[in-house]
Amino acid sequence: MPDNDREGNNTETRISRRRFLTYLSGFLIVGGFLMQGVAALRSLFPRVLYEPPTKFKVGLPSDLPEGVKFIPEHRLFVIRNGDRFHSISAICTHLGCTVNLAKYSPPKEYKARSGQEISETYEFHCPCHGSKYREDGDVYAGPAPKPLPWFKMYLAPDGQIVVDTDVTVGHEFRLQV
Amino acid sequence: MKEKLKTIIRKLTWTYNPATEREASDSTARNFLLHWFPAKVTKKSMSFSYSMLLGTIILTLFLILTMTGLILMFLYVPSVGKAYWSIKDLQFVVPYGWFIRDLHRVAAQLMVAVVFIHLVRVFLTGAYKHSEKIVGSYRPLNWWIGLALLLVTMLLSYTGYLLPWDQLALWAITIGDHIALSAPVVGSAISRVLIGGTIIDQNTLIRWYVAHVFFLPVIISLLILWHMWRIRKDGGLAVVEALGIERIKEDKVVAKAKTYSLMGIVTGITPTITQYRVRGEAVSSSPNLTRRVLVVMVLVTAVSMGLAFFYKAPLEQPASLMWTPNPAKAPWYFLWLQELVADTTIRLGGLTISGGFVGGIVIPTVLLLFAAAWPLIDRSPEEAIGVWFHKSRNLQNAAFILVCTVIVALIYVGAVMRGPYWHLYMPWQHWIKMPTRF
Repeated sequence: MPDNDREGNNTETRISRRRFLTYLSGFLIVGGFLMQGVAALRSLFPRVLYEPPTKFKVGLPSDLPEGVKFIPEHRLFVIRNGDRFHSISAICTHLGCTVNLAKYSPPKEYKARSGQEISETYEFHCPCHGSKYREDGDVYAGPAPKPLPWFKMYLAPDGQIVVDTDVTVGHEFRLQV
Repeated sequence: MKEKLKTIIRKLTWTYNPATEREASDSTARNFLLHWFPAKVTKKSMSFSYSMLLGTIILTLFLILTMTGLILMFLYVPSVGKAYWSIKDLQFVVPYGWFIRDLHRVAAQLMVAVVFIHLVRVFLTGAYKHSEKIVGSYRPLNWWIGLALLLVTMLLSYTGYLLPWDQLALWAITIGDHIALSAPVVGSAISRVLIGGTIIDQNTLIRWYVAHVFFLPVIISLLILWHMWRIRKDGGLAVVEALGIERIKEDKVVAKAKTYSLMGIVTGITPTITQYRVRGEAVSSSPNLTRRVLVVMVLVTAVSMGLAFFYKAPLEQPASLMWTPNPAKAPWYFLWLQELVADTTIRLGGLTISGGFVGGIVIPTVLLLFAAAWPLIDRSPEEAIGVWFHKSRNLQNAAFILVCTVIVALIYVGAVMRGPYWHLYMPWQHWIKMPTRF
């Protein structure tokens, strides 16, 4: 026998007022907390970052010295070899310390994996956990998992060299000026 | 007049200095400050040889930290431009500023050390084990709360360490951030939340500051209260189980009594009253336990104050990402982790897993999970609860001591044997002091 209310409407498919209000208030309470939670969490991920740009000028090619130059404010090494330039990150790939430049004179000799004898005049050493990188950024000692990345470089219209730290390039990359 | 004064003083202090046994057991119910003590306590529970009173020592240190921390909040400015200089002012301009800062730091470092010793004590006495003897007791829960307290203590230390915004602070955050980044999949999201961007700046400082002065202290306070409440629920320190418990069960019809408290007894039910009697000499908490607590508090405060005169908080150069101090060392309680991240990079053929992930995340997590699961794994008998070095636990005690020794040894290696570029030096070898200025 169907349940009818006073007006004779079928109440079987309808929910009672009490149940409706219970669901409604439950929904509002849970929804309210969820909204607050989402708002609180989302607010911790900034939409705008007021951070220095990842593309920057490092000076005119003629101002850069032959060999390797550390640019502290960008944590970067710019290397000049005659009219050819490339840049290597100074941020250790292990845990982000700034690596130091270790210069060798007379040059340090070592045997590459290919068996080739190579002499280098500088290396990069990390002060935090002792990672050591060759002059091309390859790790040969310590805990660093990856080589130091090389960054893309190009000339700005005013003739200055621009480094783009968002774009990494291979070891064959050179900016010819 | 003199008599009247005496009466007033007596009325204010009788709970601390009860004249009779009756007053002694009344005092814990009458005095708010004493209400978390039981009326009676066994002599063994209070003894230094069992618990070494480490909990009381930690609580005292926490109170010192809270009070000095509140004063420091008036004097410190959480801004990248001003933080360092407000610490400099604290050190050289604010009257007794150096003392408040040094005391805060000494107490913080002592707290980390004593929390660790407390964990060792609880493990070696088997105090985290569950037994069926006492109804409502579940000691593993308090072990887990204790592990959470250890974590929050470490986090408080770490966040506090960052606030001076000197080189020490900056490179500690940098390394912490890169450990988070080395985690697969979620790494960059966690790092984003931790430092509030992609580089360490004002967003980072204010986040760590709010965590240090509000979130973590509130969390640790709640956990401390829960930890203490659980001790009462578990029937006191675990040593009472080793002393032996007599269970006297009797059905008793409780006479209907007029009562207005929540503890009123419902009529029509015959409650079963189970009494537990601990074998071993029990004395009143007031004044026996309260006196001990007071002595510990005074001594800990005195020792911390004394150490604050000799053990100076360092302040390095202002934070600068341009160069990293050489060697850059974490605070001593994190040096074992620094040693691990430096040594655990795994190279398998072409695959390389950073030591940041292995030593910074995997190993500590595994250690913590092991510690958390241990009360469920440990199958030693109930007789081993509350006994130092019980013979049935020899193997696990040895394993535990081995892990602790390795941690302490790694701290020693990191502190004494690591020089510039993290090179290994023997303790008697000297290394060249590297310049501290770029």
